[in-house]
Amino acid sequence: MEKKNKAMMVEFHTVKRIDNSRLRRHIEPAKLRNLYKTVALGGVVAMCFMFYIYQHFRCIDLSFQLEDLKGKQEQAANLNGKLRLNIATLRDPHRIDLIARHQLGLTEPGPTQVREYTNFDGAEEASVRYTRPNRQP
Amino acid sequence: MQQEKVHVRLLLIAGVVLLWMMCVFGRVAYLQLFLHSDYLAKASRQQRRTLEITPKRGAIYDRNMHPLAMSVPVHSVFAVPSEIKDMELATRLLAGALGIPQATLREKLESPSNFVWIQRKVTPEKEEAIRSLNLKGIDFLEEYQRNYPKREMAAHVLGFVDVDEKGLGGIEYEYDNLIRGKSEKIVVMADAHQRWYDGGEAQKDRGASVVLTIDEKIQYIAERELQAAIAKTRAPAGTVIVQDPNTGAILALANWPRFNPNAVTDVPNEARMDRAVSAIYEPGSTFKLVTLAAAFDQNLIRADEVFNCENGSVLVAGHRIHDHKAYGMLTVSDILANSSDVGAIKIAMRLGSPKFYDYIHAFGFGSLTGVDLPGESRGILRRLENWGSFSIGSISMGQEVGVTPVQLATAVSSIANGGLLYKPHVVQEIRRAGQAVPLDGASSITEPKRSIRPETAATLRRLMEGVILHGTGKLARLDGWTAAGKTGTAQKIDPNTGRYSPTKVIASFTGFAPINNPAVTILISIDSPEGWPHGGGDVAAPVFKRIAEQVLPYLDVARDVPVSPRLLQTSYRNETQIDSSAVEDFTPANLELETSDVPERQPAEKGSSKPKEVTVAVEEGGDITVPDFTGKTMREVTEGCLKMGLNPVLVGTSLASHQIPAPGSKVRRGTKVTVEFGKAADLAAKAR
Repeated sequence: MEKKNKAMMVEFHTVKRIDNSRLRRHIEPAKLRNLYKTVALGGVVAMCFMFYIYQHFRCIDLSFQLEDLKGKQEQAANLNGKLRLNIATLRDPHRIDLIARHQLGLTEPGPTQVREYTNFDGAEEASVRYTRPNRQP
Repeated sequence: MQQEKVHVRLLLIAGVVLLWMMCVFGRVAYLQLFLHSDYLAKASRQQRRTLEITPKRGAIYDRNMHPLAMSVPVHSVFAVPSEIKDMELATRLLAGALGIPQATLREKLESPSNFVWIQRKVTPEKEEAIRSLNLKGIDFLEEYQRNYPKREMAAHVLGFVDVDEKGLGGIEYEYDNLIRGKSEKIVVMADAHQRWYDGGEAQKDRGASVVLTIDEKIQYIAERELQAAIAKTRAPAGTVIVQDPNTGAILALANWPRFNPNAVTDVPNEARMDRAVSAIYEPGSTFKLVTLAAAFDQNLIRADEVFNCENGSVLVAGHRIHDHKAYGMLTVSDILANSSDVGAIKIAMRLGSPKFYDYIHAFGFGSLTGVDLPGESRGILRRLENWGSFSIGSISMGQEVGVTPVQLATAVSSIANGGLLYKPHVVQEIRRAGQAVPLDGASSITEPKRSIRPETAATLRRLMEGVILHGTGKLARLDGWTAAGKTGTAQKIDPNTGRYSPTKVIASFTGFAPINNPAVTILISIDSPEGWPHGGGDVAAPVFKRIAEQVLPYLDVARDVPVSPRLLQTSYRNETQIDSSAVEDFTPANLELETSDVPERQPAEKGSSKPKEVTVAVEEGGDITVPDFTGKTMREVTEGCLKMGLNPVLVGTSLASHQIPAPGSKVRRGTKVTVEFGKAADLAAKAR
């Protein structure tokens, strides 16, 4: 019976026109400041973490590069050693002696030939500087 | 209502998200906080490698820092047999690339081991060939290979190494611990691709480098002249030593036969023997220097004292000794110059066995010199109590005593430098990381010992000059420098008969130059030269001349014998075709090739095009004439020398009796002038 009564009731919807345009949400300055501070702090912390992660992987990356450069340096040093060995072989006195005698036709000075000579200006100093290291102390 | 449903759904989704985030962060927290150490350990095990680093062997240099021995990296081939898929293919390909028999290779590859050497230290060409095959299970390991770029030069001094770079002779053996350095383990971090990103600390103990006293150029001169003498006399062996008498430093040490340390596998032991320190021989007449030095030092004889040499024959303790010539009355200086055995025996008998024995020891015979080369022999010198009745006679003429070449050279050096016996050495310094390492123990340079007085040494130098000027060593006379020396022709024992051989001798000459301020002592010893004459004065003395005349200008030693002005002729290359075949063997890769003998100096061919000549007028000699100081006092001599810019060296007391260089010689400013002082009676006797 009550259900029937409720079904027969008519509802009337009235339209309320509410103009809230003049309403402005009041934001408390203190809360806003706190928000900004929190965001900033969070950002700083995040940057710190990012920086830590960045430098960690950058360090590893640089280590790879460093080891790579060390390897290249070692290769260069090995090549340097091989070249010095080549130089030492080419400077073998026996080899130079053969070149001098067989290819260039040079001979030892004979007993009447003199090795020492009067030096000219400039050449004398160079000659002394060249021969001086050979002199026994 | 709707809103409540929306609200509930939102809450539900938020709850699910929150739960998911809690699970994720919880897991992260669990891993980071509770399992941190476990995962750290796992990562460390994965990334950490422990490697054993063998340091590069240090180099060996001559005194001018020219490398004589150095190590360069090469690759060695190894196999992991379990990783090889096709064994037959791998065997065939590797055998072809390496030149190894397939059977040998197959045996290695079928080994149950996880690591098998295929070939150690392969050439770059072979390495490239194997890399191009790209065989799985075949890889390379970097090692070091020892190279001797000068090949046979100073081989006995340098020594050699085995395949593991362990020293087996010479300096390589003697200083192996220093040159090799110490292996150390380093910890490295590697990623999944085995790339290192943390290579550990640098090696702390690298191999040290050795700087020798050997001069490369002087060594070559000595070896070349020794080789020429050996070829000329067809002798089986010989030795040359060039030493600085003022320090004991050995500038050159050459032995024959020699070997190439780059290829020692099939070299006979006799070629590897360092005869200069190990070979013992009876010095013969060269030992008369010790006899006379002892007698002079004891003031038992004078240089002009006359001895009766019994016409070249004397009977002592039942032994008859013959001179090589029938000498009658000889002064002491003539006894040395003519190498009279009879005269030497008489002098020794005046000296007496105990004092003679002491002086023999004072000269370093019968004990180790301490030279920093392995295998040194102390020679043979019987103890005084074991000397027979004739031992003093035998030993006085250089028999019944055994010496090594380095002992003899050092003893003669002590005469050259005024009576100081220096320890011979071939190592100048050890360097590590660019810093000199102090030598310690047996390697250190010790203070010299005095063998004879300076006056005795001065007297002996003068007498030794007489050997060259008018004695048995005339062929050792130098062109431009004074020189002093003594010949030796020692008979060898015939192993078949046990007696002295009439034909086999050891021909030797030991001398120094110049007399005034000696720069080098040179010893030449030729074992069993063939042909005739074969004495020390004929075979060894010319070698001394050739070596000294090349070494002295190289060392910038001023000439002290007046030379007349000469014209300088320089030969330029001739017009004949260039032949490059002679130097093909000297490409750096062919260090193992045998060198051909140095060809004899070719005389100029008749009819060949004359080389261009350039003539330059020169002024030879110095500009100071040495005055005659005879009869002057020490003050007068000193003042006179200083006024003329000469350096006086005064020996003895009283008035000046003898000088070197001779009066009237042309010398340069700063030349040393040795003036001997004697008693007035000596001067009067000389004047008569």
